[in-house]
Amino acid sequence: MSATSRLRTGPIGRAAVYGTFVLTLVFLIGPILATFVSTFASSWTGVLPTGFVTLSHWERALGMTNTVGSSRGIGAGLQYSVLLALGGVLINLVVGIPIAYAIVRYDFPGRNLLSTFAVLPLVSGLILGIAFLRTYPKLSGTGISLIIGYSLLKAPFMVIAVKSSFEAMDLRQLEESARSLGASWPRAFLTVIVPNAAEGIVAGAIICWTLAAAEFNFSYIVYSRGAKPFSLFLFSNISNNGILQAAAAVSIYFLIVAAITLLLRTTGTNGFTYARS
Amino acid sequence: MATTNTEGSLVESARGTLTGVISPTTEREREYRRIFALVLPFAVLAVFGAIVPLVKLVQISVSVSKYHTSGFTLQFYRSLLSAGFGYYVFNTLWFGVVTTLASVAIGIALAHALEKYDLPFKGVLVTLVSFPISLPGIVAAFMMIILFGNTGFVTNAISWLTTTAPIISGLIADHSSTDVGFATSVLGLFFGYCYSMIPRATLLLRGSYAELNTDAEEAARTLGATSFETFRYVTLPQLRPGIVGAIILTFRTAMALFGTVLVLKSLNVLTLRISRLINVSFDIQTAAAMSIVFFAFTIVFTFIGLRYTAAEVGA
Repeated sequence: MSATSRLRTGPIGRAAVYGTFVLTLVFLIGPILATFVSTFASSWTGVLPTGFVTLSHWERALGMTNTVGSSRGIGAGLQYSVLLALGGVLINLVVGIPIAYAIVRYDFPGRNLLSTFAVLPLVSGLILGIAFLRTYPKLSGTGISLIIGYSLLKAPFMVIAVKSSFEAMDLRQLEESARSLGASWPRAFLTVIVPNAAEGIVAGAIICWTLAAAEFNFSYIVYSRGAKPFSLFLFSNISNNGILQAAAAVSIYFLIVAAITLLLRTTGTNGFTYARS
Repeated sequence: MATTNTEGSLVESARGTLTGVISPTTEREREYRRIFALVLPFAVLAVFGAIVPLVKLVQISVSVSKYHTSGFTLQFYRSLLSAGFGYYVFNTLWFGVVTTLASVAIGIALAHALEKYDLPFKGVLVTLVSFPISLPGIVAAFMMIILFGNTGFVTNAISWLTTTAPIISGLIADHSSTDVGFATSVLGLFFGYCYSMIPRATLLLRGSYAELNTDAEEAARTLGATSFETFRYVTLPQLRPGIVGAIILTFRTAMALFGTVLVLKSLNVLTLRISRLINVSFDIQTAAAMSIVFFAFTIVFTFIGLRYTAAEVGA
């Protein structure tokens, strides 16, 4: 192999990787930007939307004008989903923090199995929804079944976030120092260990909340009456409304996620990552 | 004198452990009690939120009546042996494999660029790449409609280009954009799946890249290997467990996707079929039987995959 032919593979490979990266990034983010920008246009029949600037789509999506059917604005659905997601997150905190601690700190028979169960989502939202239809028929469609479903489906994200925080701490030392100073174990856990993992816990809570607020698969099957969860509002817009009206509805969600992402940066998490770096 | 009463001693040891947990005397027993208390909330949620409903689902799948869970019949499982079910399974599997391989391949490139190259604003780039994870499948499908739909951006761009460039227009039979728009075809669904799967695969692989032994790579470079040879002989073998893990997890995601295919409707995959059984005919027993098979497959696939391949799923 001559020296010149060996040198050439480097730049080609590099260009290929860079090219893939840029193209994929455009593929992922481009439509988001296009959707958002187009919501201010009055029509989009050619390559580019035309007729800037109009706020009529936003007015309809936010429920500020009188419309019927799918064009109806978001109304109480957003508050409802916010509260439901909050309920799910609270359950996740109570469930996820202890089990993450147990997995990281202690070694016991069955630990690896438990770790796999806690970290991998084993039930799909669709199947859980069908199971819930019959198991808890009296709860059907009420917030409680949605909250339980959300917390079960998004628990792995909380466990992963908190686990990474615990793994970066010297748990044994913290626990022993607190206990040698006289704290009982529960007190050491609640007042020393948990606050030290605050960043991971907050990041996990924010991620779980966002994913629960927009959860679709489970909500679609379980929902029957009352205020519509936010994801079903998005779905009826996407299925029934014209493209610009649907774009306005979806852009509401983009703005929410963008705000959440900025909030996450304060905890040192870059976006909806699994590990925190 | 040893009395061989094995049953008695088993009960004895079980009782011993239980008293040890409830009223511990040794430090070890106290530790077990703590572990038990820590795992308890998760166990409660898992039992009432997952195990009880799944047991109920099994009951539904063998129930004789549609509106009350009663009786026992295997007819709905037997009906799955027909060719119809095999069609959905086949669709789900081949489509899942194709999208998984494509997404993981692109994920490797993205993770490589993020970890190995000195990119500006790396934090922002990671945030951008992970953004689609927060989007439910229906929004991913909508993004595909924006790009490739009948009035989509790419569709219109191709249309516009072809009508103004006679040479190219001859390559496409019809100039109307409805023929160019492929959002609601299988190709569009493919892109819709990849939209949700590429960010997940990238983040998983980033974790593997972070654990690479860079000394070995540097040694290879000093010994004269090109960057491609270094990647192929030094980096890739180290990455392999992570890649296999990423393939397994991404495949699970692909099989469970529902919102995307509900909006784009282009391929009859299992999740779509199950939802149609519920929403159109309320054939809950068949849907339950399919769900149980699907669930069993996911569990078996995950455990076998994680156990018997060299996969590593670090989070």
